[in-house]
Amino acid sequence: MTLLSKKHIDYVVNLNSEMSKQSYEHWLSEHLRMNGLYWGIMTLVTLKSLDSLPRQSIIDFVLSCVDKRSGGFGAYPQHDGHILSTLSAVQILSILGALDELDKESVIKFTKNLQLPNGSFQGDSFGETDTRFVYTALSILSILEGLEEELVNKSLDYLKQCENFDGAYGMRPGAESHGAQVFTVIASFAICNRLDLVNDKLSSWLSERQVKNGGLNGRPEKLPDVCYSWWILSPLAILKKLKWIDLSKLEQFILDCQDDEGGVSDRKGNQTDVYHTCFSLTGLSIINDELYEGNKYDMDSIDPVYCMPYSATKTFKPWPYKS
Amino acid sequence: MWHNVKKQTLSSEARLAKIERDKEKIHSYNKLKDEIFKIRNEGSHTVEFLNKLTDLLGLNPEFYTIWNIRRETLSSLFHQHQLDSQSTLEDELKFVMVLMKRYPKCYWIWNHRLWCLFQLGKDANWEFELGIVSKLLSMDERNFHGWQYRRVVIENLETHDDLENLKINLQEFKFTSSKVNSNISNFSAWHNRSKLIPKVYHLVGKLNYQDEPLFQSKESLLLHELTLVNTGMYVDIDDSSIWVYLEWLLSDCFFIDELSNDKYHDILNDQLKIINELNDLEITDNGKDNCWCLKAMIIINELLDNRSAVRPLLEKLIDIDPLRRGRYIDQLDSF
Ligand SMILES: [Zn+2]
Repeated sequence: MTLLSKKHIDYVVNLNSEMSKQSYEHWLSEHLRMNGLYWGIMTLVTLKSLDSLPRQSIIDFVLSCVDKRSGGFGAYPQHDGHILSTLSAVQILSILGALDELDKESVIKFTKNLQLPNGSFQGDSFGETDTRFVYTALSILSILEGLEEELVNKSLDYLKQCENFDGAYGMRPGAESHGAQVFTVIASFAICNRLDLVNDKLSSWLSERQVKNGGLNGRPEKLPDVCYSWWILSPLAILKKLKWIDLSKLEQFILDCQDDEGGVSDRKGNQTDVYHTCFSLTGLSIINDELYEGNKYDMDSIDPVYCMPYSATKTFKPWPYKS
Repeated sequence: MWHNVKKQTLSSEARLAKIERDKEKIHSYNKLKDEIFKIRNEGSHTVEFLNKLTDLLGLNPEFYTIWNIRRETLSSLFHQHQLDSQSTLEDELKFVMVLMKRYPKCYWIWNHRLWCLFQLGKDANWEFELGIVSKLLSMDERNFHGWQYRRVVIENLETHDDLENLKINLQEFKFTSSKVNSNISNFSAWHNRSKLIPKVYHLVGKLNYQDEPLFQSKESLLLHELTLVNTGMYVDIDDSSIWVYLEWLLSDCFFIDELSNDKYHDILNDQLKIINELNDLEITDNGKDNCWCLKAMIIINELLDNRSAVRPLLEKLIDIDPLRRGRYIDQLDSF
């Protein structure tokens, strides 16, 4: 199977079409709109087609989602600020080179205020804590150059407590290891320049996630799912262990999960969505960089730490900041 | 985000019929949503408003902002003494339960349930919660939220009384035993076991508790767990859970720090022998080595400092486990 680039571009462009708006499900998913926009944009960036969407209307939409009471971004106008939609908003503006349109100080303040004394982060003032939110906070602050030593150290202490006997990480201290959590912890270590904290067992654990058909799963004895082509592959890329799995078989698995009408699903023959489309293609871009010097799929390179194009992340100030 | 949903292809008539049906649904959903935001912006918190929120959450429990509005409204009504907090929160738990059954994977519903319980404070019935989550885990034994929720419930059942806590955690340990005995592949249960063993052992020592023979020494614990894992290997040799657990048993300082060197070497050599025999059976049955046996033999030989035994094992793995070829080559190169 080949890469259906053109189909995927059309698929993303049509997500917000009048036709999609005729479906009830479209309205039920407003709470994911900001994340969805980021996933769509990353799909287009990876396929070098960002100009298929109108830049100014995206910026206008993102800015219309500011939640003035919290200082963060909601997923949609009037929705409450949440750390997940705030990261998506910051990522989108950064990719579009529009960070100047943002009230950086208020986003930095919103993010810092969500840290709890044990170093974890809440998703919002009501929310639960999760290693995901630590990464989300560190990524926002790194993009906006708002990292601070105490915040970084407390975050790292918390993440270390989430390590398990298998060398991988769970969503909270005591919780079972999970592929998506491993990405958030390893990428956090990378942002904080502390990859020395990684357990030696981890790369083996990551390589054990590949199953016979080439796909990756998120936990032992679970079915493969195309979104782990990002969650498992990006930590392997960060740890420089991409060769520890069979990339060609994974490439085939990803291509097989494509739908003829555009979009990618968790497994072959299932319902597509923009989340799986984004994380399968960003994963494929890592494979493309590793295996094909000639850029076989004509893709842009994606930074495994931020899940953003290198063209955007190369300007981020590395931690620790030089005074 | 869709998981495990087969693609549906609708005929053009069915598609048009859906658009027609959806029109009405979209209209009433959006009307309700707009009303809610309007009332919120006016800042009026009333019991009728709660009913509107109930309706919307029934249609869409993923709408996190609505849960926030609900908590704001409840807190405000309690504060103004317009509602009795205890009975309201108990009703709230029933409402949440109905939604949980319909949407077992929705994070926000679990989140709201915990909020209600924390608001109830000392009136919260955590034993009841333990019952719910046990039932959930018997229906869906690796449900991620379920296991997480179970750990939170246990944390809240724990008190300042060490003996009580020991009993609670021993019961949890036995819960994981029953889970792995009924299905050796339940990694979630193995995981919890790895957290409970040091915890229970510590409490047994602190209280000098004699009624639990298994926890009297780390060595007896280790041997017990090894027997369990060895049985598991014969049940399903390709199940990764037991092999990951085996590595932990044989290498973690919790178990090995207090063992004499001789004893440790005896245990490692025993395991090597058992795994070798198992692998020989595999060769007889399937004509080839078993990957997990070879990987475990590598780990044990490394722990025994038998470096010369490791190389041929890695060379075999390069052949029989091509997916992870690059990893074995790297490991060979590091010799
Ligand atoms: Zn997925």
